[in-house]
Amino acid sequence: MDFAFIGQTFLQLLGGIPLTLKLAAVAFLIASVLAVLIAIIRTRKIPVLDQIAGFYVFVLRGTPLLVQIFLIYYGLGQFRPTLQSLGLWQFLRDPYWCSILALALNSSAYASEILRGGLRSVPVREIETARAYGMSGLRLYRRIILPIAIRRALPGYGNELILMVKATSLTSTITLMEVTGIAAKLISESYRPVEVFIAAGVIYLAINFILTRVIALLDWWLTPHLRRPRIVAAKLEPAHA
Amino acid sequence: MPDHSSQPVVSLRDIHKHFGALEVLKGISLEAQKGEVIAILGSSGSGKSTMLRCINMLELPTAGEVAINGEAIRLKVTRNGPAIADQKQIDRIRTRVAMVFQSFNLWSHMTIEQNLIEAPIHVQGRHRSDCIAEAKALLDKVGIADKIDAYPAHLSGGQQQRAAIARALAMHPDVMLFDEPTSALDPERVGEVLKVIRALAEEGRTMLVVTHEMAFAREVASRVIFLHQGRIEEDGPAKETFANPKSERFRQFIATAHNH
Repeated sequence: MDFAFIGQTFLQLLGGIPLTLKLAAVAFLIASVLAVLIAIIRTRKIPVLDQIAGFYVFVLRGTPLLVQIFLIYYGLGQFRPTLQSLGLWQFLRDPYWCSILALALNSSAYASEILRGGLRSVPVREIETARAYGMSGLRLYRRIILPIAIRRALPGYGNELILMVKATSLTSTITLMEVTGIAAKLISESYRPVEVFIAAGVIYLAINFILTRVIALLDWWLTPHLRRPRIVAAKLEPAHA
Repeated sequence: MPDHSSQPVVSLRDIHKHFGALEVLKGISLEAQKGEVIAILGSSGSGKSTMLRCINMLELPTAGEVAINGEAIRLKVTRNGPAIADQKQIDRIRTRVAMVFQSFNLWSHMTIEQNLIEAPIHVQGRHRSDCIAEAKALLDKVGIADKIDAYPAHLSGGQQQRAAIARALAMHPDVMLFDEPTSALDPERVGEVLKVIRALAEEGRTMLVVTHEMAFAREVASRVIFLHQGRIEEDGPAKETFANPKSERFRQFIATAHNH
């Protein structure tokens, strides 16, 4: 094993981290917005939209992400005139935006299911109480339902973020030079896949290690009500006079 | 003292409620005047909780009319039964009618203080600093000032219910609805909650209390209503009615309760 070469490769792969993180972050944000909408549609069983959302989730979860990336990157060219007239072609001919789109759509399907579980776990009584105190519609979601649902969904949602970071590696197949893209290039130059992939693996591991810590911290910070109360000082109750 | 000069705070007119084929309320009419403390009694299944929940539309009556401070709540009829016609109206009226639930129902992810200021700030649009100051005063009043930063799960049942009563008071309601407020409590915790409710009654607050606590109903309520199979079977001033029930069923009900 050539450790000097691994070290050298590692330094070159670091250059791919910004793109990896950008892909993951942008796609994750878009996926989250879509996931909230889909989860609410499906929880409230809004007619027609519910069926469409159900089919969307079924298709996106039932097909491989790589196939989705290829379909979007290679397939959308067939609709070029339409996309041009809509002004979308300048985005969708770009592998970066095709990747964002594929990653976001794919992740939104999984994330919506995680959120749906969170929404279902919100105690009915707490919702009813909020109604009895004058909350309804968006305010009820914003103030009571989503804060509880998101807290309950957070551990699963954190998993989704980690899967997203790893999924960005697939975008190297449509020319993006993120960590895996650079790794592939280095392999074709050096014919030393083991060393290169070890270095790449270490980078993904480091990113995800930090993310799991951040998620655990966020979870801890958002759920003080699930922890034992902090005992500030032993306080003696005065005896009843 | 009940004030009969102005319009009733709560007015129910011929309320019917069906759950499928089951008719739970069979025509309830009732007016609660300002300052009245009405104890609502009845065996389980008599419809007393359903009646209370019709007042703030947590259950939508199948027929009849509910009015709060003289304003009739608008409902519409759909294929699936009654539906809310004007959500804004109901939300506004609900802030005038504060409910205390059997199982407290504090919002579990919020501290006690946050529970108290949530609706005043975000529904009534009041100033945060005012609400916080008032929350402190209310928690002091119900005797749990030291729990202001605690989470509901860290409180005993009695403390949670007192916090829930403080949350109701924070709305400055015109009427308070208590749905079996002590039924989920350990026996040794019942007293502390009844004490708080009794103090509110003495302040002259308008309250409707569904309860199984007969002694409490007799001593604290100004008026007692006895429901049987979805109808009001007895309705009168608490002391006289307990001493001299007109209905045989209520007489039996009191007698049975005493033997327990």
